[in-house]
Amino acid sequence: MQVRRILTGLAVGLLWITGAGAAGFETRAASPAPELKAHDLTGTPRTLADYRGKVVLLNFWATWCPPCQREMPSLERLRTKMAGRPLEIVAISSAETPDEVNAYLSKMKLGFPVLLDTDSSNTRRWKVFALPTTFVLDAEGRVRHVLTGPAEWDEGEALAVTESMLAELPAPAKQTK
Amino acid sequence: MRFFRLFLSGLWLCAFAAHAGIPDYQDFPASGQRLLLWVASERGRSEPELVAARQLAAQGVEVWSLDSANAYFLPQVPSSMDALPAQDLAAWLRAAQASGKQVVVFAVARAAVPVLRAAALLESERRNRLCVVLMHPNLYTTAEPLDEPAYLDLGDLSGLRVRVLQPRRSAATPWLPGLLDHLARHGATVSDAILENLREGYWARETPTDFEIAESRRMDAMLLHQLETWGCK
Repeated sequence: MQVRRILTGLAVGLLWITGAGAAGFETRAASPAPELKAHDLTGTPRTLADYRGKVVLLNFWATWCPPCQREMPSLERLRTKMAGRPLEIVAISSAETPDEVNAYLSKMKLGFPVLLDTDSSNTRRWKVFALPTTFVLDAEGRVRHVLTGPAEWDEGEALAVTESMLAELPAPAKQTK
Repeated sequence: MRFFRLFLSGLWLCAFAAHAGIPDYQDFPASGQRLLLWVASERGRSEPELVAARQLAAQGVEVWSLDSANAYFLPQVPSSMDALPAQDLAAWLRAAQASGKQVVVFAVARAAVPVLRAAALLESERRNRLCVVLMHPNLYTTAEPLDEPAYLDLGDLSGLRVRVLQPRRSAATPWLPGLLDHLARHGATVSDAILENLREGYWARETPTDFEIAESRRMDAMLLHQLETWGCK
Protein backbone atom coordinates (compact mmCIF):
# COMPACT_ATOMS: atom_id res chain seq x y z
CA MET A 1 0.00 0.00 0.00
CA GLN A 2 2.81 2.33 1.00
CA VAL A 3 4.78 1.38 -2.11
CA ARG A 4 1.75 2.25 -4.24
CA ARG A 5 1.49 5.66 -2.59
CA ILE A 6 5.18 6.30 -3.14
CA LEU A 7 4.95 5.26 -6.79
CA THR A 8 1.90 7.48 -7.32
CA GLY A 9 3.68 10.35 -5.64
CA LEU A 10 6.72 9.82 -7.82
CA ALA A 11 4.59 9.65 -10.96
CA VAL A 12 2.73 12.85 -10.07
CA GLY A 13 6.03 14.52 -9.15
CA LEU A 14 7.50 13.46 -12.47
CA LEU A 15 4.45 14.86 -14.25
CA TRP A 16 4.90 18.16 -12.47
CA ILE A 17 8.61 18.28 -13.28
CA THR A 18 8.12 17.35 -16.94
CA GLY A 19 5.43 19.99 -17.13
CA ALA A 20 2.24 18.06 -17.84
CA GLY A 21 0.46 21.29 -17.06
CA ALA A 22 2.32 22.98 -19.88
CA ALA A 23 0.71 20.57 -22.35
CA GLY A 24 -2.66 21.79 -21.14
CA PHE A 25 -3.56 19.04 -18.71
CA GLU A 26 -5.57 20.43 -15.87
CA THR A 27 -5.62 18.40 -12.70
CA ARG A 28 -8.96 18.30 -10.89
CA ALA A 29 -9.70 17.45 -7.30
CA ALA A 30 -11.38 14.07 -7.84
CA SER A 31 -14.78 15.56 -8.58
CA PRO A 32 -17.77 13.37 -9.40
CA ALA A 33 -18.25 13.09 -13.15
CA PRO A 34 -21.42 14.33 -14.80
CA GLU A 35 -23.80 11.71 -16.09
CA LEU A 36 -22.84 10.02 -19.34
CA LYS A 37 -25.87 8.78 -21.22
CA ALA A 38 -25.16 7.82 -24.81
CA HIS A 39 -25.53 5.05 -27.37
CA ASP A 40 -22.79 3.27 -29.23
CA LEU A 41 -22.92 2.69 -32.98
CA THR A 42 -24.91 -0.52 -32.54
CA GLY A 43 -27.56 1.39 -30.60
CA THR A 44 -26.59 -0.08 -27.22
CA PRO A 45 -27.01 2.40 -24.35
CA ARG A 46 -23.80 3.23 -22.50
CA THR A 47 -23.09 4.91 -19.17
CA LEU A 48 -19.95 5.40 -17.08
CA ALA A 49 -21.01 2.41 -14.96
CA ASP A 50 -20.03 0.21 -17.92
CA TYR A 51 -16.39 1.20 -17.36
CA ARG A 52 -16.28 1.24 -13.54
CA GLY A 53 -13.07 -0.20 -12.13
CA LYS A 54 -11.03 1.09 -15.07
CA VAL A 55 -9.27 4.30 -15.85
CA VAL A 56 -11.26 6.01 -18.60
CA LEU A 57 -10.15 8.49 -21.25
CA LEU A 58 -13.39 10.09 -22.35
CA ASN A 59 -12.68 12.00 -25.55
CA PHE A 60 -15.22 14.46 -26.96
CA TRP A 61 -14.53 14.90 -30.68
CA ALA A 62 -16.09 15.48 -34.08
CA THR A 63 -15.33 14.15 -37.54
CA TRP A 64 -15.02 17.69 -38.97
CA CYS A 65 -12.46 18.80 -36.38
CA PRO A 66 -8.85 18.67 -37.68
CA PRO A 67 -7.12 18.47 -34.25
CA CYS A 68 -9.48 15.62 -33.32
CA GLN A 69 -8.52 13.78 -36.50
CA ARG A 70 -4.85 14.38 -35.78
CA GLU A 71 -4.94 12.78 -32.34
CA MET A 72 -7.12 9.77 -33.23
CA PRO A 73 -4.22 7.58 -34.46
CA SER A 74 -2.37 8.17 -31.18
CA LEU A 75 -5.44 7.11 -29.19
CA GLU A 76 -5.56 3.94 -31.24
CA ARG A 77 -1.85 3.33 -30.65
CA LEU A 78 -2.43 3.87 -26.93
CA ARG A 79 -5.17 1.26 -26.98
CA THR A 80 -2.78 -1.26 -28.52
CA LYS A 81 0.01 -0.33 -26.16
CA MET A 82 -2.23 -0.71 -23.10
CA ALA A 83 -3.87 -3.98 -24.15
CA GLY A 84 -4.63 -6.08 -21.08
CA ARG A 85 -4.43 -3.15 -18.71
CA PRO A 86 -7.50 -1.59 -17.04
CA LEU A 87 -7.81 1.37 -19.37
CA GLU A 88 -10.87 2.20 -21.45
CA ILE A 89 -10.67 4.75 -24.23
CA VAL A 90 -14.10 6.06 -25.10
CA ALA A 91 -14.64 8.55 -27.90
CA ILE A 92 -17.93 10.42 -27.96
CA SER A 93 -18.85 12.23 -31.13
CA SER A 94 -20.33 15.63 -30.31
CA ALA A 95 -23.52 16.67 -32.08
CA GLU A 96 -23.11 14.47 -35.13
CA THR A 97 -25.32 11.94 -36.85
CA PRO A 98 -24.55 8.20 -36.99
CA ASP A 99 -24.04 8.55 -40.76
CA GLU A 100 -21.35 11.19 -40.31
CA VAL A 101 -19.52 9.10 -37.72
CA ASN A 102 -19.82 5.86 -39.72
CA ALA A 103 -18.50 7.59 -42.84
CA TYR A 104 -15.41 8.66 -40.89
CA LEU A 105 -14.92 5.25 -39.29
CA SER A 106 -15.06 3.55 -42.68
CA LYS A 107 -11.76 5.31 -43.42
CA MET A 108 -10.26 5.36 -39.93
CA LYS A 109 -10.39 2.04 -38.12
CA LEU A 110 -10.62 2.42 -34.35
CA GLY A 111 -10.61 -0.44 -31.86
CA PHE A 112 -12.13 1.48 -28.97
CA PRO A 113 -15.80 2.30 -28.43
CA VAL A 114 -17.24 5.31 -30.21
CA LEU A 115 -20.42 6.75 -28.73
CA LEU A 116 -22.93 9.13 -30.26
CA ASP A 117 -24.09 12.41 -28.77
CA THR A 118 -26.34 13.39 -31.61
CA ASP A 119 -28.52 15.70 -29.51
CA SER A 120 -25.39 17.15 -27.81
CA SER A 121 -26.91 16.55 -24.36
CA ASN A 122 -23.67 14.99 -23.06
CA THR A 123 -21.60 17.80 -24.56
CA ARG A 124 -23.70 20.28 -22.61
CA ARG A 125 -23.79 18.22 -19.42
CA TRP A 126 -19.99 17.91 -19.42
CA LYS A 127 -19.65 21.59 -20.37
CA VAL A 128 -17.49 20.97 -23.41
CA PHE A 129 -16.77 24.22 -25.26
CA ALA A 130 -13.93 23.14 -27.52
CA LEU A 131 -13.02 20.01 -29.44
CA PRO A 132 -11.27 17.81 -28.68
CA THR A 133 -11.73 17.83 -24.92
CA THR A 134 -10.66 14.75 -22.98
CA PHE A 135 -11.53 13.82 -19.42
CA VAL A 136 -9.32 11.36 -17.56
CA LEU A 137 -11.43 9.50 -15.03
CA ASP A 138 -10.23 7.27 -12.24
CA ALA A 139 -11.57 3.79 -11.52
CA GLU A 140 -14.32 5.28 -9.32
CA GLY A 141 -15.56 7.39 -12.21
CA ARG A 142 -14.24 10.69 -10.86
CA VAL A 143 -12.75 13.37 -13.10
CA ARG A 144 -9.04 13.71 -12.33
CA HIS A 145 -7.55 15.46 -15.35
CA VAL A 146 -8.95 17.50 -18.22
CA LEU A 147 -7.24 18.33 -21.49
CA THR A 148 -8.67 20.85 -23.93
CA GLY A 149 -7.01 20.36 -27.29
CA PRO A 150 -5.17 17.48 -28.91
CA ALA A 151 -2.35 15.29 -27.60
CA GLU A 152 -0.10 12.49 -28.73
CA TRP A 153 -1.66 10.04 -26.34
CA ASP A 154 0.87 7.23 -26.60
CA GLU A 155 3.89 9.28 -25.58
CA GLY A 156 5.22 12.06 -23.39
CA GLU A 157 3.07 13.84 -20.89
CA ALA A 158 -0.25 12.38 -22.00
CA LEU A 159 1.09 8.87 -21.54
CA ALA A 160 2.54 9.86 -18.15
CA VAL A 161 -0.88 11.11 -17.01
CA THR A 162 -2.48 7.82 -18.03
CA GLU A 163 0.26 5.80 -16.35
CA SER A 164 -0.08 7.83 -13.14
CA MET A 165 -3.78 7.03 -13.05
CA LEU A 166 -3.14 3.34 -13.64
CA ALA A 167 -0.51 3.36 -10.89
CA GLU A 168 -3.20 4.34 -8.39
CA LEU A 169 -5.13 1.14 -8.96
CA PRO A 170 -4.82 -1.76 -6.49
CA ALA A 171 -2.29 -4.34 -7.71
CA PRO A 172 -4.74 -7.04 -8.90
CA ALA A 173 -6.57 -4.52 -11.07
CA LYS A 174 -3.44 -3.38 -12.90
CA GLN A 175 -3.59 -6.27 -15.36
CA THR A 176 -6.77 -7.54 -16.91
CA LYS A 177 -7.20 -10.72 -18.90
CA MET B 1 11.76 45.72 -17.17
CA ARG B 2 10.15 48.98 -16.10
CA PHE B 3 11.49 50.68 -19.19
CA PHE B 4 10.10 47.90 -21.35
CA ARG B 5 6.64 48.30 -19.75
CA LEU B 6 6.75 52.05 -20.26
CA PHE B 7 7.84 51.55 -23.85
CA LEU B 8 4.94 49.15 -24.49
CA SER B 9 2.46 51.50 -22.80
CA GLY B 10 3.75 54.34 -24.95
CA LEU B 11 3.37 52.30 -28.11
CA TRP B 12 -0.15 51.37 -27.04
CA LEU B 13 -1.11 54.98 -26.40
CA CYS B 14 0.44 56.13 -29.67
CA ALA B 15 -1.48 53.47 -31.56
CA PHE B 16 -4.76 54.68 -30.06
CA ALA B 17 -3.94 58.37 -30.33
CA ALA B 18 -3.13 57.93 -34.01
CA HIS B 19 -6.52 56.39 -34.56
CA ALA B 20 -8.73 58.41 -32.27
CA GLY B 21 -12.13 58.81 -33.85
CA ILE B 22 -13.38 56.75 -36.73
CA PRO B 23 -11.18 53.73 -37.51
CA ASP B 24 -9.56 53.27 -40.91
CA TYR B 25 -11.76 51.15 -43.13
CA GLN B 26 -11.95 50.18 -46.78
CA ASP B 27 -14.92 51.50 -48.73
CA PHE B 28 -16.59 49.58 -51.53
CA PRO B 29 -19.01 52.24 -52.84
CA ALA B 30 -22.38 51.40 -54.34
CA SER B 31 -25.46 53.41 -55.14
CA GLY B 32 -28.01 51.22 -53.38
CA GLN B 33 -29.83 52.07 -50.19
CA ARG B 34 -28.13 49.45 -48.07
CA LEU B 35 -24.78 49.95 -46.28
CA LEU B 36 -23.04 46.89 -44.82
CA LEU B 37 -20.34 47.44 -42.21
CA TRP B 38 -18.18 44.33 -42.40
CA VAL B 39 -16.00 43.84 -39.31
CA ALA B 40 -13.45 41.07 -39.78
CA SER B 41 -12.56 38.72 -36.96
CA GLU B 42 -9.56 39.02 -34.68
CA ARG B 43 -7.65 36.95 -37.27
CA GLY B 44 -7.84 39.80 -39.73
CA ARG B 45 -9.48 40.26 -43.10
CA SER B 46 -9.10 37.44 -45.61
CA GLU B 47 -9.19 37.58 -49.39
CA PRO B 48 -12.62 35.91 -49.71
CA GLU B 49 -14.04 38.68 -47.50
CA LEU B 50 -12.71 41.34 -49.86
CA VAL B 51 -14.09 39.42 -52.84
CA ALA B 52 -17.48 39.23 -51.15
CA ALA B 53 -17.37 42.98 -50.45
CA ARG B 54 -16.70 43.69 -54.15
CA GLN B 55 -19.49 41.34 -55.17
CA LEU B 56 -21.93 43.04 -52.81
CA ALA B 57 -20.95 46.47 -54.09
CA ALA B 58 -21.53 45.25 -57.65
CA GLN B 59 -25.05 44.35 -56.55
CA GLY B 60 -25.70 47.79 -55.09
CA VAL B 61 -24.81 47.16 -51.44
CA GLU B 62 -22.14 49.55 -50.24
CA VAL B 63 -19.59 47.90 -47.95
CA TRP B 64 -17.31 49.47 -45.38
CA SER B 65 -14.78 46.80 -44.52
CA LEU B 66 -12.92 47.08 -41.23
CA ASP B 67 -9.95 44.96 -40.19
CA SER B 68 -9.86 46.28 -36.66
CA ALA B 69 -6.83 44.34 -35.40
CA ASN B 70 -4.83 45.80 -38.27
CA ALA B 71 -6.37 49.28 -37.95
CA TYR B 72 -5.33 49.52 -34.31
CA PHE B 73 -2.00 47.65 -34.65
CA LEU B 74 -3.20 44.93 -32.31
CA PRO B 75 -2.15 41.27 -32.24
CA GLN B 76 -4.51 38.88 -33.99
CA VAL B 77 -5.94 37.33 -30.84
CA PRO B 78 -9.46 37.45 -29.35
CA SER B 79 -8.46 39.69 -26.42
CA SER B 80 -7.47 42.41 -28.90
CA MET B 81 -11.12 42.76 -29.84
CA ASP B 82 -12.02 43.40 -26.20
CA ALA B 83 -9.45 46.21 -26.11
CA LEU B 84 -10.88 48.13 -29.08
CA PRO B 85 -12.24 51.57 -28.20
CA ALA B 86 -16.01 51.21 -28.37
CA GLN B 87 -16.34 55.01 -28.70
CA ASP B 88 -14.50 54.87 -32.03
CA LEU B 89 -16.76 52.15 -33.34
CA ALA B 90 -19.82 54.02 -32.10
CA ALA B 91 -18.61 57.07 -34.05
CA TRP B 92 -18.20 54.83 -37.08
CA LEU B 93 -21.78 53.54 -36.70
CA ARG B 94 -23.08 57.10 -36.40
CA ALA B 95 -21.15 58.12 -39.53
CA ALA B 96 -22.66 55.18 -41.39
CA GLN B 97 -26.17 56.09 -40.29
CA ALA B 98 -25.53 59.71 -41.30
CA SER B 99 -25.25 58.45 -44.89
CA GLY B 100 -29.01 58.00 -44.84
CA LYS B 101 -28.68 54.39 -45.91
CA GLN B 102 -30.06 51.42 -44.07
CA VAL B 103 -27.10 50.19 -42.01
CA VAL B 104 -26.36 46.54 -41.27
CA VAL B 105 -23.29 45.50 -39.30
CA PHE B 106 -21.74 42.11 -40.01
CA ALA B 107 -19.20 41.09 -37.36
CA VAL B 108 -17.21 37.88 -37.22
CA ALA B 109 -16.19 35.90 -34.11
CA ARG B 110 -14.81 38.06 -31.26
CA ALA B 111 -15.37 41.22 -33.31
CA ALA B 112 -18.94 40.89 -32.08
CA VAL B 113 -17.80 42.26 -28.72
CA PRO B 114 -16.70 45.79 -29.77
CA VAL B 115 -19.61 46.03 -32.20
CA LEU B 116 -22.18 45.25 -29.52
CA ARG B 117 -20.48 47.54 -27.02
CA ALA B 118 -20.52 50.30 -29.62
CA ALA B 119 -24.20 49.67 -30.30
CA ALA B 120 -24.85 49.97 -26.56
CA LEU B 121 -23.28 53.45 -26.63
CA LEU B 122 -25.63 54.68 -29.35
CA GLU B 123 -28.67 56.80 -28.64
CA SER B 124 -31.70 54.50 -28.44
CA GLU B 125 -33.23 55.99 -31.62
CA ARG B 126 -30.05 55.14 -33.54
CA ARG B 127 -29.83 51.67 -31.99
CA ASN B 128 -33.41 50.94 -32.99
CA ARG B 129 -32.48 51.58 -36.63
CA LEU B 130 -29.47 49.29 -36.59
CA CYS B 131 -29.35 45.66 -37.71
CA VAL B 132 -26.48 43.48 -36.53
CA VAL B 133 -25.52 40.12 -38.02
CA LEU B 134 -23.04 38.15 -35.94
CA MET B 135 -21.13 35.26 -37.51
CA HIS B 136 -20.32 32.62 -34.83
CA PRO B 137 -19.85 35.30 -32.14
CA ASN B 138 -17.60 34.61 -29.20
CA LEU B 139 -18.94 36.44 -26.15
CA TYR B 140 -17.38 34.30 -23.42
CA THR B 141 -15.37 35.60 -20.51
CA THR B 142 -14.67 32.02 -19.47
CA ALA B 143 -15.69 28.70 -20.93
CA GLU B 144 -13.97 25.91 -19.02
CA PRO B 145 -14.87 22.22 -19.09
CA LEU B 146 -17.30 21.13 -16.35
CA ASP B 147 -18.14 24.76 -15.46
CA GLU B 148 -21.01 26.98 -16.53
CA PRO B 149 -19.96 29.43 -19.26
CA ALA B 150 -19.67 33.10 -18.33
CA TYR B 151 -20.42 35.85 -20.84
CA LEU B 152 -19.19 39.41 -21.18
CA ASP B 153 -21.28 42.34 -20.04
CA LEU B 154 -22.24 44.15 -23.22
CA GLY B 155 -24.23 47.10 -21.95
CA ASP B 156 -27.78 48.10 -22.88
CA LEU B 157 -28.81 46.56 -26.19
CA SER B 158 -32.51 47.34 -25.93
CA GLY B 159 -34.05 47.90 -29.33
CA LEU B 160 -31.11 46.34 -31.18
CA ARG B 161 -31.98 43.65 -33.68
CA VAL B 162 -29.38 40.87 -33.79
CA ARG B 163 -29.20 37.81 -36.01
CA VAL B 164 -26.66 35.13 -35.17
CA LEU B 165 -25.29 32.94 -37.96
CA GLN B 166 -23.86 29.74 -36.56
CA PRO B 167 -22.03 27.18 -38.71
CA ARG B 168 -23.30 23.74 -37.70
CA ARG B 169 -19.82 22.21 -37.47
CA SER B 170 -18.68 24.09 -34.42
CA ALA B 171 -18.18 23.30 -30.76
CA ALA B 172 -20.21 26.46 -30.10
CA THR B 173 -23.38 25.16 -31.78
CA PRO B 174 -24.69 23.27 -28.72
CA TRP B 175 -24.25 26.49 -26.73
CA LEU B 176 -26.16 28.73 -29.13
CA PRO B 177 -29.34 28.88 -26.99
CA GLY B 178 -27.35 30.22 -24.02
CA LEU B 179 -25.70 32.86 -26.19
CA LEU B 180 -29.06 33.98 -27.59
CA ASP B 181 -30.46 34.18 -24.06
CA HIS B 182 -27.51 36.32 -23.01
CA LEU B 183 -28.14 38.76 -25.87
CA ALA B 184 -31.84 38.84 -25.07
CA ARG B 185 -31.10 39.56 -21.40
CA HIS B 186 -29.22 42.66 -22.56
CA GLY B 187 -32.34 43.78 -24.38
CA ALA B 188 -31.57 42.71 -27.95
CA THR B 189 -34.20 41.18 -30.20
CA VAL B 190 -32.50 38.02 -31.40
CA SER B 191 -32.90 35.46 -34.13
CA ASP B 192 -30.55 32.86 -35.51
CA ALA B 193 -29.76 30.70 -38.49
CA ILE B 194 -27.68 27.52 -38.65
CA LEU B 195 -25.34 27.25 -41.62
CA GLU B 196 -25.29 23.56 -42.48
CA ASN B 197 -22.13 21.60 -43.34
CA LEU B 198 -19.85 24.52 -42.55
CA ARG B 199 -17.21 25.19 -39.93
CA GLU B 200 -16.37 28.47 -38.24
CA GLY B 201 -14.35 30.75 -40.52
CA TYR B 202 -15.00 28.39 -43.44
CA TRP B 203 -13.79 31.00 -45.94
CA ALA B 204 -10.30 31.06 -44.42
CA ARG B 205 -9.67 27.43 -43.52
CA GLU B 206 -6.31 25.75 -44.18
CA THR B 207 -7.97 22.55 -45.37
CA PRO B 208 -11.43 23.53 -46.59
CA THR B 209 -13.89 20.98 -47.90
CA ASP B 210 -15.19 21.35 -51.44
CA PHE B 211 -18.46 22.63 -50.01
CA GLU B 212 -16.66 25.23 -47.89
CA ILE B 213 -14.71 26.44 -50.93
CA ALA B 214 -17.94 26.81 -52.87
CA GLU B 215 -19.66 28.61 -50.00
CA SER B 216 -16.75 30.97 -49.44
CA ARG B 217 -17.19 32.12 -53.05
CA ARG B 218 -20.82 32.96 -52.47
CA MET B 219 -20.69 34.74 -49.15
CA ASP B 220 -22.33 37.72 -50.83
CA ALA B 221 -25.33 35.61 -51.82
CA MET B 222 -25.49 34.00 -48.39
CA LEU B 223 -25.52 37.39 -46.68
CA LEU B 224 -28.12 38.85 -49.01
CA HIS B 225 -30.26 35.77 -48.49
CA GLN B 226 -29.96 36.11 -44.71
CA LEU B 227 -30.88 39.80 -44.85
CA GLU B 228 -33.93 39.06 -46.99
CA THR B 229 -35.01 36.16 -44.78
CA TRP B 230 -34.52 38.19 -41.64
CA GLY B 231 -36.30 41.24 -42.97
CA CYS B 232 -34.49 43.75 -40.74
CA LYS B 233 -35.17 47.15 -42.28
